[in-house]
Amino acid sequence: MTDRTVTLAHLFPELLNLYADQGNISVLRHRMHARGWTLSVTPVKLGSRVDFGSVDMVLLGGGSDREQQLVGRELAIYREDFATAIEAGLPVLAVCGGYQLLGEYYELQSGERIPGLGLLAVTTRAGKGRLIGNIAIEWVSQNGESDGKTIVGFENHAGRTFHDYAPLGRVLKGHGNNGRDHHEGLQYKGVVGTYIHGPLLPKNPHLADHLLAKALAFKGCHEPLDALDDALEWRAHRSVLGMLGVKSGEIRA
Amino acid sequence: MTRVRAQAALWIGRLITLLLRLVGRRGTSLPGLIASRVSPDLLFRLLSQLELCVVVTGTNGKTTTSALLYGMLSDDEYPWLTNRGGANLLQGLLGALLPYADRRGRLLVRRAVLEVDEATLPLVTNRYHPTLIVVTNVVRDQLDRYGEVDGALAMLRSGLQYPGAILLTNADDPLAASLGWERELTYYYGMDECPADEEPRNEVRDGAFCLICGRELQYERYIYGQLGYYSCFSGHFGRPAPHFGGKTDGSSELIIRERVSDHRQEEFMVDAGAPGLYNDYNVLAAAATARLLGRSPRQIQVGAEHYEAPPGRMQMFPGSPERILALIKNPTGANSVLRTLESDERDKAVCFAINDADADGRDVSWLWDIDLERFVLAARCQHYICAGTRALDMAVRLAYAGVDRQRIQISEELPEVLTMTSELDVPVYVLSTYTALYPLGEQLQEAAR
Ligand SMILES: [Zn+2]
Repeated sequence: MTDRTVTLAHLFPELLNLYADQGNISVLRHRMHARGWTLSVTPVKLGSRVDFGSVDMVLLGGGSDREQQLVGRELAIYREDFATAIEAGLPVLAVCGGYQLLGEYYELQSGERIPGLGLLAVTTRAGKGRLIGNIAIEWVSQNGESDGKTIVGFENHAGRTFHDYAPLGRVLKGHGNNGRDHHEGLQYKGVVGTYIHGPLLPKNPHLADHLLAKALAFKGCHEPLDALDDALEWRAHRSVLGMLGVKSGEIRA
Repeated sequence: MTRVRAQAALWIGRLITLLLRLVGRRGTSLPGLIASRVSPDLLFRLLSQLELCVVVTGTNGKTTTSALLYGMLSDDEYPWLTNRGGANLLQGLLGALLPYADRRGRLLVRRAVLEVDEATLPLVTNRYHPTLIVVTNVVRDQLDRYGEVDGALAMLRSGLQYPGAILLTNADDPLAASLGWERELTYYYGMDECPADEEPRNEVRDGAFCLICGRELQYERYIYGQLGYYSCFSGHFGRPAPHFGGKTDGSSELIIRERVSDHRQEEFMVDAGAPGLYNDYNVLAAAATARLLGRSPRQIQVGAEHYEAPPGRMQMFPGSPERILALIKNPTGANSVLRTLESDERDKAVCFAINDADADGRDVSWLWDIDLERFVLAARCQHYICAGTRALDMAVRLAYAGVDRQRIQISEELPEVLTMTSELDVPVYVLSTYTALYPLGEQLQEAAR
């Protein structure tokens, strides 16, 4: 392959930038660069079109309620092409507000429903009180298997999210999707949705590589990703596990 | 009943102050805390006796602006009081007033500069109406990240609603300036001329949207963060013409041009020896307030000359190596501090002390909104040190900003900052979050002796 560029579409960065998405992008960029690839980031402002055919990966961040309502109004133009791309396996990372936005609606305390992209059968309702704090989960693959890998970060959301897809993992410490069913996040084909930020990827390099491998595969490239020196990342990862009193067990990148 | 309680609270507060003084401790929050528990009323009984009261609020720069303003206003003839060091909640205000109350509850000093937390402002102005309110800026702070600036704006707006409130606010910040919309008794300050960015930096700009139509604001010029010369594309709002314009060439000298009315135009210079564009804004806000209260340019300059940085606001600790302590608490503030470091052309070391207690903000995402990439390229910094409970998060952040991983020293223990930097022969900037600031300040003080 001559074209060693992965194209990331960063949706609505002017509105959904509440949880340091630059951090996630920075991690993806560096990890691609270290493997001789270039990550090309295309910011997509609300209202401008996306050619999903030329995109290898999508990032949706989180915003404040006000900003999410602004987004909600103008989403219809994306629905069809985006849904087709997801069915074809397009990798999507959707964090916090972006995760909620993949679903059908966000129901406010007043009962008013802010429409989402309607890409997945996911619904979110505002609950009483916010679910805030450091969080650790056990990463469970889409077929329900786990090899003891953990994902750590911080969550801060009023929304309680419900769906029947595979979760991203099982909550070890923290709240997760809704504080009730011990599930955190969502995995469906190439989509990863989660409430975990911090940002998500710097302290979870294995998840970053998982997404990048999916993006390469979606592009038709199946070369393995070389291991990188992630000692510092894992120290930071383990320190969060330590703060939460979770035994780190076996963590492999 | 409330009267009795207020009297009891006064005596208890005075007693504790006295006892603490006897054991050689001053400036703790204890008397105010306990007295306000006994009587929430006492604060307002004391406030109501003030003849003049300036409240300084906003996200960044409150403490420095208050300290500058206090210096410009207070003299032997007309002494003022102030809540030093950022005790800006209700109990902190009470703690500042208590030492000036006699045993009958009469205030002996009747002019006050009070730094007040944004969320506390409505609680104060609900029952007491200050003469003038200064809003420095309204930017994102990780402490209330989820509600973000919308919540802070709403609290400020409600705090400013009382009749006769005089507002001085920042014309260059679209959110702070929006507080002055369709409002009488509003004055603005802003930068006429300053060394600004040639291109927008990679920063989060919260104010970058029109509050009416939600469209992105157009910037004719960026200054820092969301500050600049902005306007809504649809003409809903733009930067108001400031009554007090600042002019700086990057040194600590600030020329202030006053245009309050046609027959009152003046130009004067203030030098508080405080470097950095964000300090120019603090000096400008303080000087503008002092002018509105009738102080002469000469009195303002004399006050500025005696200015000493409050604890942890670019506080110098001489020695070998020289160490400088600065608070960082949100991306906009941290970027401003980093720019000041960049303008120091010496080789240097930087230590980040990052804690994640409640007062620091438990979510450390904000570290990734700081523009460290530019700093790493521009700052002539050879040594990076990370300390605090979130030292490792900071280290990862630095690694992705381009610092060689092998060159990052890490210790979660704060006292190690001293030992890790003791052999260095370059100035050490220690940038610290709130709960690490005071322990570090004491250690650095100790070492500087
Ligand atoms: Zn507008």
